[in-house]
Amino acid sequence: MTEATGVDELVTETADRLFTQVCDHEAVQNAEAAGAAPEIWSAFAETGFPWISIDEDRGGSGGTLLDALEVLRLVGYHAAPIPAAETGVLGGWLLASSGHEIPAGPITVLPNSNNITASVSGDQMTLAGTCARVPWARIAERIAVLVEVDGQSMVGSVDPKDCAIRPMTNMAGEPRDTVCFDGAIAPASPCVAGVNPETFRFRGALSRAALMAGAIEKMSQLTVTYTNDRIQFGRPVARFQAVQQHLVWGAQEAALARMAAETAGREANRGSAFFEIAAAKLITNQAAARATKACHQAHGAMGMTQEYPLHHYSRRLWSWRKEYGGDAEWSKWLGDAAVSQGAEGLYALVTGGSSVLR
Amino acid sequence: MRFTPTELTEEELDLQQQVRDFLQEELPPGSHEPCLGMAANKDKAFSLKMAERGWVGMALPKEWGGSDRTAVDRFIVVEEMLRWGAPVGHHWVADRQTGNVILKFGTEEQRERFLPAICRGELGFSIGMSEPDSGSDLASVSTKAEPTTDGWIINGTKIWTSGAHENDWFVCLLRTSPMEDGNKHAGLSQLLIDLKSPGLEISPIPFLDGSHHFNEVTFNEVFVPDINVLGDLGMGWHQNTTEMAYERGGPDRWLSPFSTVEQLLREAKGTELEETVSDLFGELVARWWGIRNLSLSVARLIDTGEAPSIESSLVKEMGTRYEQEVVEKLVHLIDIEYSPDSDSLFERLLAQCVVTFPGNTIRGGTIEILRSVASKGLKGLPA
Repeated sequence: MTEATGVDELVTETADRLFTQVCDHEAVQNAEAAGAAPEIWSAFAETGFPWISIDEDRGGSGGTLLDALEVLRLVGYHAAPIPAAETGVLGGWLLASSGHEIPAGPITVLPNSNNITASVSGDQMTLAGTCARVPWARIAERIAVLVEVDGQSMVGSVDPKDCAIRPMTNMAGEPRDTVCFDGAIAPASPCVAGVNPETFRFRGALSRAALMAGAIEKMSQLTVTYTNDRIQFGRPVARFQAVQQHLVWGAQEAALARMAAETAGREANRGSAFFEIAAAKLITNQAAARATKACHQAHGAMGMTQEYPLHHYSRRLWSWRKEYGGDAEWSKWLGDAAVSQGAEGLYALVTGGSSVLR
Repeated sequence: MRFTPTELTEEELDLQQQVRDFLQEELPPGSHEPCLGMAANKDKAFSLKMAERGWVGMALPKEWGGSDRTAVDRFIVVEEMLRWGAPVGHHWVADRQTGNVILKFGTEEQRERFLPAICRGELGFSIGMSEPDSGSDLASVSTKAEPTTDGWIINGTKIWTSGAHENDWFVCLLRTSPMEDGNKHAGLSQLLIDLKSPGLEISPIPFLDGSHHFNEVTFNEVFVPDINVLGDLGMGWHQNTTEMAYERGGPDRWLSPFSTVEQLLREAKGTELEETVSDLFGELVARWWGIRNLSLSVARLIDTGEAPSIESSLVKEMGTRYEQEVVEKLVHLIDIEYSPDSDSLFERLLAQCVVTFPGNTIRGGTIEILRSVASKGLKGLPA
């Protein structure tokens, strides 16, 4: 597996073991009620996993983007209630690549800066405006803010104490807070080439594709187990053809989503992966819709209860589907790319992806 | 179950380019009416040209006329042919499955007799499975082969036999000993039957649009010599299951509407349809990219010696449903009253898709049967 996917097998094993220990059904449920899970974060941080793919000399844990995405896949698989993507491949990436210090605790990042204004003076920026749906802002040690000022992409490293944070949640009860900047002043520095709002948008989509692939796979496996255990009419319901349809559809979407996310990760780890990431996010978005429908149906009423864990995954998927680009955004991007290739180049795009767009 | 991502090597990309160049030269766009995937026209001259390049029976060993190439190499050739709508019908069945089955189960004499001719693109094969009373419940077949001096006498009827009126040979699943109580998989064998045999009668079962692909093949005291028994007597069910694994999960299960979609883009360019097409194509290219990656990973798995039957059933079930979904999206979005005799190639192809694609989720095993196969394999995975 290591050879085929480029992922360090030790990363997979260790992360899977860790989350199996600390993220059982009850722990995830408790985190939702409390709005945070400091013990889970501590266990995660102790391994150094949050900072994989950030260079060690920048305060990270080293390793590749592939390893970091594999951890995110497992975060999704276990519904781990922690800001893993924000601290690592998103916020950590922005801070490290623009020379900011990486703090010891969780990092978050503004998903966009559409309603933020920034003025830069020397190595400081002054921020105004409000950003909604900021993951885990309430527990973050720094908030990474990516803005364009006079055509230059800049990253500010904001101390959350300088902002007003209103706790909000997504459909899975994960913190998605509203952050209000009212003249907050933060250290600012310019981005290196290749880091800008567009590439950040794609990276955000890639992080969600990895999380979603994990969650869909877990849902599919729960469904197979449940329908083989559940007896009705004297036999496991999985023996009924009508139920088999849902099992197969769930497994297909899990396979498709993981293939898409892993292939996009492979290309992103090498360089330009606009096509693969756009396709992976659209695929995982739609896979989430189809898989949640199939898996819920196969579970019957049990899947609609809080006591059974299916909802940890399905509610996250419904939320993540809309983060860093819903169906319409990526569908439009891909449609424009396809039409730009013309009939003669259409299949070459399907087989060659970003390499033919370069 | 695990679909490991894979990608084409430099050599494989080189093969892909060779096939693209070949098609551009032999069948430039506009010079032929594209076929819809594997339901392709039979054009023996085209099959011979492909064979000259070593692209028919290419995964068979060199000593039998093949090219010792991999399942992935074959995937590349098949994928390019199908998306181009090339007329691969003549060699299709022999290339996809019969050659493999003869190599695996046949005698030296049978390999000598059939494999080099398959690889030269000469022989066309039909498949004899379904009968009037045996469809999805294939093990209930009742066409009988009874022993006689030096061979067998066949009586019974096979149906849905594609191309029997044009092909040379027929690989048939037959009952060589009476059905035993409780074990209908026993007593079945595969025989190689010359479609020109005396007593063998072929009559068309017209397709719903009147075209002729299907046949009913009736055996009336047809003699088949012992040397044409394929594999071991009584092992027909096992061999047949192996054979079906070759026909699942490949590009023929998800590329059928591609030439139609490509033609839409060609005709819509610069017209008011272009924007509608752009809305539609985002999802299409994403799904094709994703399903292709799954299908390619199945081919790679076959090359490592695995028999990924669950994986290929999942891909076939998903791929054939996707083909129908593509057509539904086209019909939904493109507000044209298309017809089979339209001046527009896109409209002709779309009309043909609409009429023929309900069969895509039936042929080679209905999706209901595939779900049953796949869901049993899903059991026992970690949760």
